[in-house]
Amino acid sequence: MVTLRVNGEDRQVDVPPDMPLLWVLRDVIGLTGTKFGCGIAQCGACTVHLDNQPVRSCQLPVSAIGDRAITTIEAIGQTPEGAKVQQAWLAVDVVQCGYCQSGQIMAAAALLARVPNPTDRDIDTAMSGNICRCATYVRIREAIKQAATGQQHGLQVVVDGSAA
Amino acid sequence: MRRFLIIVVVLLAVGVGAYFFLNRTDPDDGTAPVLAGAPTNADPVARGEYLTTAADCVACHTSHDGGKPFAGGLAFKLPFGTIYSSNITPDKETGIGTWTDDEFVRAVREGIRKDGKHLYPAFPYTAYTQLSRADVLAIKAYLFSLPPVHQPEKPNELGFPFNQRWAMGFWNAAFFRSQRFQADASRSPEWNAGAYLGGPLGHCAECHTPRNFGFALKHGEALAGEVVQGWRAYNITSDPTHGIGKWSDEALTQYLRTGHAEGHASANGPMGEAIAYSLQHWKPEDTAALVTWLRTVPAREGDDPIVVDAAPKAMVASSAVAPGGDDGKADAEGLRLFEGACASCHQWNGAGQQTAYAALAGTRGVNDPKGANVTEAILEGVKMRIGDNDVYMPAFGHAYSDTEVAALANYVIRHFGGKQGEVTPADVAKRRAE
Ligand code: FES
Ligand code: FES
Repeated sequence: MVTLRVNGEDRQVDVPPDMPLLWVLRDVIGLTGTKFGCGIAQCGACTVHLDNQPVRSCQLPVSAIGDRAITTIEAIGQTPEGAKVQQAWLAVDVVQCGYCQSGQIMAAAALLARVPNPTDRDIDTAMSGNICRCATYVRIREAIKQAATGQQHGLQVVVDGSAA
Repeated sequence: MRRFLIIVVVLLAVGVGAYFFLNRTDPDDGTAPVLAGAPTNADPVARGEYLTTAADCVACHTSHDGGKPFAGGLAFKLPFGTIYSSNITPDKETGIGTWTDDEFVRAVREGIRKDGKHLYPAFPYTAYTQLSRADVLAIKAYLFSLPPVHQPEKPNELGFPFNQRWAMGFWNAAFFRSQRFQADASRSPEWNAGAYLGGPLGHCAECHTPRNFGFALKHGEALAGEVVQGWRAYNITSDPTHGIGKWSDEALTQYLRTGHAEGHASANGPMGEAIAYSLQHWKPEDTAALVTWLRTVPAREGDDPIVVDAAPKAMVASSAVAPGGDDGKADAEGLRLFEGACASCHQWNGAGQQTAYAALAGTRGVNDPKGANVTEAILEGVKMRIGDNDVYMPAFGHAYSDTEVAALANYVIRHFGGKQGEVTPADVAKRRAE
């Protein structure tokens, strides 16, 4: 038995120690908002927060978590940054198919918690490990800026982090 | 003329005499120090299993493409050709099922197989010659307890003259002595156990000791580090700067038992295999003995000594989630690759998340300007099972070009090691070919 603190609640789960957190969240606890993309820590779809840091839950064995607090997409709207990000995501209509978006939102919320007003370079650094097969990158950038400033910036293509 | 003939005959006689003298077999059965994991009163098969694990026979005698354990077929790509490991399951036709005790002991300790032909020293009889007969026979008992696997040997791919097995007799005359382990009475039993575990049994030197022009170990440079099939086996002498002299006993023990030592190293490649198949299964007392012995290995600098910078400028200026202090121009390409594919696990400050094995700070890998192991890790990734967990890093060899791998390796070396990396796309292509 392992006790995990998920979205503010203690959960007792009976799982093998090497089971990745993603499996525990989706298949055991039933929180299916976090997605499985690649399973090898390369796409970011499975991003959750551990003590407010973004981590890839597909490569995180449950035995490595300890008493760190887990936050998933289901509860990120209860944090100030998460709420702002979700608002902006709706305003900009970022989502295409949506598969990568829980991970994108988790990564964006972690970025804003750390850097309230990120530059394009900051956005690249924080977000380029999150892959979107629908290529919503331009809208993600705009939504992050809107979430940060509360203002519209307009969709823009940025090359190499040097703002257009 | 007669005089000349006499000289020729005498020289020949001396040569033949020297050949046989240098190739003589030590008649001693040999005595092994007591090992915690293989007490002398234990059942021979159980003892043999432990000794087989400690010697890590399975790592070389199993092919990587899903081969059955001990059935052989693993390729050793050496500068002069490719050698395949043999089937050591008790299959009567393709394995060692018909070998007698004496034949097995001769193969393991003298490098001469059942049919009288010489083995190549890719099989470390040069180390195993020091094993006691009782230990070798325990290993045989264990191997003979396994299910026989019918798997014919793959023929070696060696050009002339290396394909001439008899020539190994001359190699042996020059570089090999048949001799059993000699305990050092002035040292503790623990040290002697460690010397036996790290020497004849664990054969650390086969990878970690530099080799000479004849591909034999340079004993005067013991354990000072060498490159084997593209991977760098680091200096493990007690040298405080270039070896492991500054590691605490706890760090060394942690590394040997788990493949990771906080702030020092994470094993991958061949050492990862050694940890996964062998070292993690040792009895803690035997690990402690090995550490005791390693501590006494004379300090040596070795070739291409690595100096670890535990706090390089750029790494220190970075946080877990954001880089700082990089030279944007020089590293742009490597940085771009790192942020997309690597940062989420390794982190910009080198601390590593998801798994402690992802920590890069303070490791010799990122402090080696030649980037041998960084390049290999990028190309091949990491996959090993340690205790209850898988340690995993994806392989990027198929995803990135030689130029990209070189840029990424050099970025990693500069950011985490504070050094100018020297990896070229041509180096990467060479690594791939191996
Ligand atoms: S599913 Fe975890 S990073 Fe892709
Ligand atoms: S919205 Fe479809 S994968 Fe990103």
